[in-house]
Amino acid sequence: MAVVVQEQDARRLRIALARQTLVFGLLLLLFITAFIVSLCVGRFSVPAGRALELVWIGITDPTRELTNIDERIVLLVRAPRVVLAALAGAGLAVSGAALQGVFRNPLVSPDILGISQGAAFGGALGIMLGIWGLPLIAMVFVFGLAALILVGLLSRINGRTETVTVILSGLVISSMFSAVVSLLQFVADPNTSLPAIVYWLMGSFATSTWQRTLIAAPGLILGSLILWMLRFRLNILSLDEAEARSLGANTTRERWLVFGMIAIIVGSQVAVSGIIGWVGIVIPHAARLLVGHDHRALLPASVVLGAGFMVIIDTLARTATAAEIPLGVMTALVGAPIFAVLLRNHYRERSAS
Amino acid sequence: MSLFHRLGSRLFLVGVLSSFAAQGAGAEEIVFKDQENREVRLAKAAERIVSIVIPMASTVIALDGSTKKLVGMNPTAKSAVVEGILGKIFPEAKDIPSDVTAPNFVPNVEALTATNPDLVIQWGGRGNDIVAPITNAGLTAMLILYGTEELTRDYMTMASKALGKPERITQLVEWRDRVQKDMEAKAASVPQDKRPSVLYLGRALSDISASGTKGSYNAWYIELVGGKNASAELNGTVSINKEQIAQWDPEVIFLNAFEAKLNVDWVYSDPVLSLTKAAKNKRVYKMPLGGYRWDPPNQESPLSWMWTANLVQPGVFNYDIRAEMKAAYKTLYNYELTEADIDAILWVKEQGSATNYDQFKAK
Repeated sequence: MAVVVQEQDARRLRIALARQTLVFGLLLLLFITAFIVSLCVGRFSVPAGRALELVWIGITDPTRELTNIDERIVLLVRAPRVVLAALAGAGLAVSGAALQGVFRNPLVSPDILGISQGAAFGGALGIMLGIWGLPLIAMVFVFGLAALILVGLLSRINGRTETVTVILSGLVISSMFSAVVSLLQFVADPNTSLPAIVYWLMGSFATSTWQRTLIAAPGLILGSLILWMLRFRLNILSLDEAEARSLGANTTRERWLVFGMIAIIVGSQVAVSGIIGWVGIVIPHAARLLVGHDHRALLPASVVLGAGFMVIIDTLARTATAAEIPLGVMTALVGAPIFAVLLRNHYRERSAS
Repeated sequence: MSLFHRLGSRLFLVGVLSSFAAQGAGAEEIVFKDQENREVRLAKAAERIVSIVIPMASTVIALDGSTKKLVGMNPTAKSAVVEGILGKIFPEAKDIPSDVTAPNFVPNVEALTATNPDLVIQWGGRGNDIVAPITNAGLTAMLILYGTEELTRDYMTMASKALGKPERITQLVEWRDRVQKDMEAKAASVPQDKRPSVLYLGRALSDISASGTKGSYNAWYIELVGGKNASAELNGTVSINKEQIAQWDPEVIFLNAFEAKLNVDWVYSDPVLSLTKAAKNKRVYKMPLGGYRWDPPNQESPLSWMWTANLVQPGVFNYDIRAEMKAAYKTLYNYELTEADIDAILWVKEQGSATNYDQFKAK
């Protein structure tokens, strides 16, 4: 009898493992396809074969002088943009997954800590002051981190931080920064800085260059990597507070480590591409439906799915019309219906079983 | 609806009162319809005008030939006036209040009332929320619409009527008309395949924006001078990317005069834009900044068209821009432009090496 149960368990485990491998294989395939297709399409027509050839040349001989316009379009305009979109999507998705674990709340997204709004304020202020390029990026990043530090100070009462005070402090800091952003919009020059701020607040990769991608990449990659290294800790943090403590977790310190990483990821992303909503909430949920709640599988699944989703969305944003469609509009328009269908299917299956 | 009624009855009341006053004063009442088809009644020529609309501030100065009648303006207009040539011609402009409105055209009613204006110029077509505060304070508003040359001439005519100087505008409108007709006649002979594609970028530094042809003043004068709008496929003013510009591959690029830190190097130092026909042939120009920025419609528009025409169709047009500018500034502002003034307005130092720019240099 016991042997039979053991065999059944082993079989179930094998099936689960096979299923997970299949899911990861498909996700990776989706991402790689999206990535390659994205490099081959755009408003400037470059034949797909030629585009791939150029990418190959770019990889094998990166120091080559680029003289033709199609070379520059593929290697200097599209490639950094696609890479940045993939990194940003991955970072936002993994941040969302980690935060939802830490807060044990499925409605939490990276915006909740006030980082996006703080960063938005930095950006709006920079644009108002006529600051462009690197200093603007630095300013956005610093204000994103500053928002998190404010949330930290505010939520720490008698040397302890409760989950609920973090969420409330995040809300307070968020609304304060968004109020100041509104104020900046109110006094901005309607001919120049106002449309620039509005556009920037809707998110876009249109201004991507290798320089910007390389500025954002370390934060996005390191942050995501460290979150992945914390995957066991996240499993414990997502338990009940008392239970987590009994398992030897220093919940406060570990939580702030997670928050810090998220600030670095979101700060880096907002600094180069403005505010992009929805990815941090839709993708972790979709990933959870595909691979379950275990952070060991959830985090990598979120990374791949987030990267693929962002690349697809951004490709649509830059190719669908001659005008750039703001990403905030696209992520909500595409993300919300997918999310709704996924959720309904999930709960229908659950109530059926 | 109710707001409309209230507005109507208030206007009626004002009308009745002012007609009494006019009878007493000897009937110099001024009545006209504004561009939202509202009746504007002034008991006498306006002595104190506030312009919430940005380009109208410098237009009012030009129509009056002084800053005396402009008692309030948009902060954005003020920075343009003070920092540009008008600040030099009329140094007293720096004392004109700009707290009467937020840059986004929402009036500050108390500051506005404090300037005691006879007439407030405000945008029409943007809803009643930015108009009601003015009329509710018992002030007279004149609403104008943005976009075409016809509308511009029409609202400039209204403003000069309100100022009690209807004769002044005849001169300015005739000038616009004469230049436009001259250009239409000369450009008519240019065949389609000799019309270069011209791209005007309304924003460039944070994100890049361009406009479709419909409703765009820039596209209108690009076509007037015998060019083709490179971004004709767009609808309205929208954000675009550099790849799209490469695909259009414009022969001439005009950069806006709004962004102070923008200059032609922005195109030449960009890996993709520097390969467009415009960049290769050095036909990238930043729009001049005169009494107002030359991109949108304003009192100096014919100068803007002539400058554009000489650059877009050098074989067809050869206006003597420096002479035209001197004459126009004498008429508009009663000011003798110096050679250095002209160089600064046309960015001769910054873009003197561009193709066909030698013609604009002092002889």
